[in-house]
Amino acid sequence: MSLSGKNNLDQVKSNSWKWLRVILPIALLLAIYTVATAYFPKGAKTAQRTTPATSARENVVKPPSVTATDPGPRPLPANAGNFLSSLSANEQQIEPSITTEFNRTHDVLVTSPTDGGLGPRFNSNSCANCHAYPAAGGSSPPNNPLFSVYNYNGASNTMPFFETATGPILEARFINQPGTTIPDGTVHQNFVITGRTDASGCNIAQPDFNTAQSDNNLVLRQVPPTYGDGLIEVVRNSDIINNMNANQTIKQQLGITGHPNYSGNDGSIQRFGWKAQVRSTLLMASQQMNVEMGVTNEVFPNEIDQTPGCVLNPVPETVTNFTPKILTEMFPGDYSRVEYFTQWLSPPAPAKSTTSTSNGKTQFTNAGCVYCHTTSFKTPATSRPALGNITINLYSDLLVHHMGPGLADGLAQGQAGPDEFRTAPLWGIGQRLWFMHDGRTNNIVTAIEDHYSLGNSSYPASEANQAVTNFNNLSSKNQQDLVNFLRSL
Amino acid sequence: MRRFDDSSAVKSSRRTRRHFPYYLALAFLVAASFAALMTRPAVVHGSALATDPGPRPLPADAGAFYSNLSSNQNAITTRLTQIFTEVNFVAGGPLVKTVGLGPRFNSNSCSSCHAYPAVGGSSPPNNPLFGIYQLMGATNTMPYFITQTGPILVARFPYQSDGVTPDGGVHQMFTISNRTDAPGCTAMVQPDFTGAQQNNNIIFRQPTPTYGDGLMELIQESDIINNMNSNLPLKQSLGISGHPNYSDDDGTISRFGWKAQNKSLIYFSGEAYTVEEGVSDEAFPSENDESIASCLPPFPVPPGTNKTKGVPDDRNDTGEAPKLPVNFPGDLERFSLFMRFLEPPVPVPPTTSTANGLVQFNAIGCNLCHNDSFTTPKSSIAALSQVQANLYSDLLVHDMGPGDADNVTQGNATGDQFRTAPLWGIGQRYFFMHDGRTSDIVQAIEDHYSLGNGTYPNSEANGVITNFNNLSQQNQQDLVNFLRSL
Repeated sequence: MSLSGKNNLDQVKSNSWKWLRVILPIALLLAIYTVATAYFPKGAKTAQRTTPATSARENVVKPPSVTATDPGPRPLPANAGNFLSSLSANEQQIEPSITTEFNRTHDVLVTSPTDGGLGPRFNSNSCANCHAYPAAGGSSPPNNPLFSVYNYNGASNTMPFFETATGPILEARFINQPGTTIPDGTVHQNFVITGRTDASGCNIAQPDFNTAQSDNNLVLRQVPPTYGDGLIEVVRNSDIINNMNANQTIKQQLGITGHPNYSGNDGSIQRFGWKAQVRSTLLMASQQMNVEMGVTNEVFPNEIDQTPGCVLNPVPETVTNFTPKILTEMFPGDYSRVEYFTQWLSPPAPAKSTTSTSNGKTQFTNAGCVYCHTTSFKTPATSRPALGNITINLYSDLLVHHMGPGLADGLAQGQAGPDEFRTAPLWGIGQRLWFMHDGRTNNIVTAIEDHYSLGNSSYPASEANQAVTNFNNLSSKNQQDLVNFLRSL
Repeated sequence: MRRFDDSSAVKSSRRTRRHFPYYLALAFLVAASFAALMTRPAVVHGSALATDPGPRPLPADAGAFYSNLSSNQNAITTRLTQIFTEVNFVAGGPLVKTVGLGPRFNSNSCSSCHAYPAVGGSSPPNNPLFGIYQLMGATNTMPYFITQTGPILVARFPYQSDGVTPDGGVHQMFTISNRTDAPGCTAMVQPDFTGAQQNNNIIFRQPTPTYGDGLMELIQESDIINNMNSNLPLKQSLGISGHPNYSDDDGTISRFGWKAQNKSLIYFSGEAYTVEEGVSDEAFPSENDESIASCLPPFPVPPGTNKTKGVPDDRNDTGEAPKLPVNFPGDLERFSLFMRFLEPPVPVPPTTSTANGLVQFNAIGCNLCHNDSFTTPKSSIAALSQVQANLYSDLLVHDMGPGDADNVTQGNATGDQFRTAPLWGIGQRYFFMHDGRTSDIVQAIEDHYSLGNGTYPNSEANGVITNFNNLSQQNQQDLVNFLRSL
């Protein structure tokens, strides 16, 4: 019985194959027509894209069509910037103090143990100046605040060519030390204190950004938001690794690999910065105080430029307050306050889901976005209860990935190679104004397309190519829903 | 030489006449030194004729806090010492304050390793790990490289198990498995050190002393660079170069650790707390092994007993138990303040022998790396402000040849490069070189000599060691006596 049954089944299969041989060519013609009409849309506003020429070495199909449009950032009020509501009463008690510190404008001269310290070189004069939008702790605001900072207090700075009044705040790094082939990679601050009324005697020049640009030696990075960072920093390494090793088959099909950027100190996985080069909010806060504002502190106690006449304060410029008047002042240096500000902010709250955004989330998974932009991790038990056992929907695997020559910035940081970047967490992206590490676009559809980049002799293809191709192959409606989903975050 | 020029450059002729014999002697000395320099490279190596008088006996000439701390700073020093010496448990009874040890660890308190000649120092004569490894019922075995009277060592594996991919991380000796204060944790095993040794994939580092670190962290970059660029012809003739190890974070010069891989005392404390004791902290908030859930906090200890609620094990007390000045921020801040407030070791007064030893030290070129002093800039901590730090280090890393190379790259310090170890306090030190390979200071000098091979260049110290070996027995001995006076 089974034998004859199998024969019958084969017969049926054979019949349906004949059918398919008729239908397939028709379907193929239809598909080509659909693709062609989509690729040459009639007046539809499509995102600009800059796909490099197709390479014969690539078996990734050239992405054909983008029909979605960016609805733009969700308007204010901000869906981010609040402290975690679960903080204890004692923790809440110091929220004003840490907020003040994050917002503090630093001048050059230290007038108390916890103030001043700007420069000799700096990018801005307060944390909140750059971490501004949609609320303090975030990223670049619509109007570039550096235009009111660079000449402040008599400073004689000129504005670097890459800063524009309505563009993203950018900081510069040099690939090599100027005029050499010696690797550099450090931040070269936009501004100096020269000319400021509170910095008399200091006479140093800004870096030569124009030459760096013409030498192809200039790398730009924009401001990452800090919301939810206290949760990101306690995610277990083992969970990050388990997630990395999950869904291997489909990741391989999509060309996705990725790996952690490990700390040289304790071997744990670093999570902060565009290349996941910093381990914790403590180290980020203290590093940023010195690198971005020139405020030396107990973690980074040395001025970055020690030209005589420009070191105007005893170092470090912020220290533990040994004479607190009230208990809440009893922090170590200001860097701890900045640490707590960034550690205690809630993740951005997404907008309510709609039919469109909930389909968009499905498409986000179907296209494969989710294999790097991991939906969520759960924090372990923590000594600060407000941060523990929380599912955080960050949309990142906290790994670094090859992003191809189109995004490569030529800088290696730790184990993140010159074309590798951390999967940027997407939470809060609904109100974000600028995208990608260098803020190259304010159009979220272009940002998706910018993930696509064919390999060249220096760098392999972007790991996102297949996912972006899948996105481009979605129907117009599905593409739009996916974009709407992103703007709901 | 510079010392003598500075102190006697412009003096009255009468005094010059009175001191003429001394100057004659000095001139002879200088000439002899140059002759010694000229004889490089040595044909014969190893003609060390000096003997090590051994470490100066206790009492310790180190371990005191600065006498000019502010009264508020001074008020917390007792508490700082308490924290630095506190023994960490995994979890424990109501009287156990400090919890968070493990899951992997090398020791259970800072001061067990930073012990000699006083709290804050380095390895004591008797290895304290024997009193720690099986504490509270732990079932650890002692790794083969730890001996009762040997130095405390931590192990790093240069490569991962494939023998090619760089590792370089610390592999902690012990685990909390079966400790009574880690109920449920039974399955975490120690690393296979014997296997690593058989594969030639294990290197060791001993504890560095922390006295005077507060001064070291403030020394200006520009002073380090200026010193690096001074005496270049002489350095080149001796084969000395050296360069800083720069921080990836802010691009300034990092100074702490055997390869100058750590930027500051907070960075160093933050790293050591989680790496050496397994106490996760705010700088490095992960437990150092997350593979076995039953070995992670919170532990099921009885109610009312002290336990870590989760990561990080240690954090600042942000007002939960407000009590001045006890309620200071977290342990890693306190460790940093403890080390920052410790004054440098005090050398013994010079003798004829040690004074000549210093002359020889400078004449043969030791001081070109072991730079005698830097002066700190103005500091917001008055006790550390504009202080001359006689550390005998240039705070640079140098190629030390295959003989010292440990195949671990850290930042800009490659597999054979090490920071010039500060020599202050070396008079009471027990073990020398990064891996504590010798307790004989003469041997330590000789261990600076190493010819290059296909992997690593010559040690930058070769010319200087040759000079040392070519000194007279008296001069060699005086130099050694000088070192033991520090």
